Amino acid sequence: MAEPTRRVNRGFGRVLVVIYAVFALAATARSFVQLVTRFDEAPVAYLLSAAAALIYIVATIALARGDRTSHRVATVAIGVELAGVLVVGAFSLVYPEAFPQASVWSTFGSGYLFIPLVLPLVGLWWLHRTRGMGEN
Amino acid sequence: MTGPLATVLIVASLLMAAWALVLLIANRPPGRSLWGGVAVFEVVMIAFVIWGLVSAFARQVEFPQLEFVLYLIGLLVLVPAAGWWVRAEKSRAAAAVLLVAFLVVPVMIVRVQQVWEMTSG
Repeated sequence: MAEPTRRVNRGFGRVLVVIYAVFALAATARSFVQLVTRFDEAPVAYLLSAAAALIYIVATIALARGDRTSHRVATVAIGVELAGVLVVGAFSLVYPEAFPQASVWSTFGSGYLFIPLVLPLVGLWWLHRTRGMGEN
Repeated sequence: MTGPLATVLIVASLLMAAWALVLLIANRPPGRSLWGGVAVFEVVMIAFVIWGLVSAFARQVEFPQLEFVLYLIGLLVLVPAAGWWVRAEKSRAAAAVLLVAFLVVPVMIVRVQQVWEMTSG
C-alpha cells in the first residue's frame, strides 16, 4: 500500500468497490424478489432487506466516487451497514420466525460466508487509511 | 441448465481466477492476453444466458423464474462491469478486481442451477 496517491477509490479501494457492488447487486435482486412475490409474509424483514440493499448501493457509489463528500457519505453508510448486520444478525438468531426468508444480514451473513460481517470492518479500516486524501 | 455449458463456464471462470491471482501475486496488471480471455469468456457467457432465458420461457414446470432471470442478468453484466471498472487501472488492483469477479461467477452459476431445480408441481 505504498502508492504515492492513496485515494479511496484507487488500489485496494478498487477491489473494495467491486465487492460492495456485488453485494449491492445481490441484496437488491434478493429484496426485489421478496418484495414483489412474498411481501405480506414478513413485511418488516423484507423492508429491512430492501434497506440493506439501499445501503450497499450508497456505499458502492460513495466508495467509487472517492471525493471528500463521498468519503463522509461512505463512512456513514458503512457505519449503518455494520450496525445493521449486527442488529439484524442478532435479531434473526433470537427470533428466527421473523425472518422466514434469509436476507444478506440474517445470522450475521452466514449465507454469504460471513462476508457481510467482515466487509464493513474492512471498509471502515480503508476509509480511515485514506482519510484526508479525497480532495477535488 | 446443468448442461455442459455451465460446467465449461465454471471451469473457465476458475482458470481465469487463477490467472488473475498469478498476476496479482506477480504485482502486474492484466495484459492483452488476459483481456482477450475475458472477451472470449464473455462470449460464452452470452451464449449461456441466452440459452438459459430460452429454456426458462419454454419450461412448463413451476420454478422461481424471477430469481432465475435476475441471476442470469447478474452473470451477464458482472465480468464486463468489473473489466470496465479497471479498464485504465495500471496496477495489480486490476488483476485483483478480475479475480473477485471470476470467483463470484461460479457461485452464481451454482445458484442458477439450484434455482432451476426448485420446482413445485
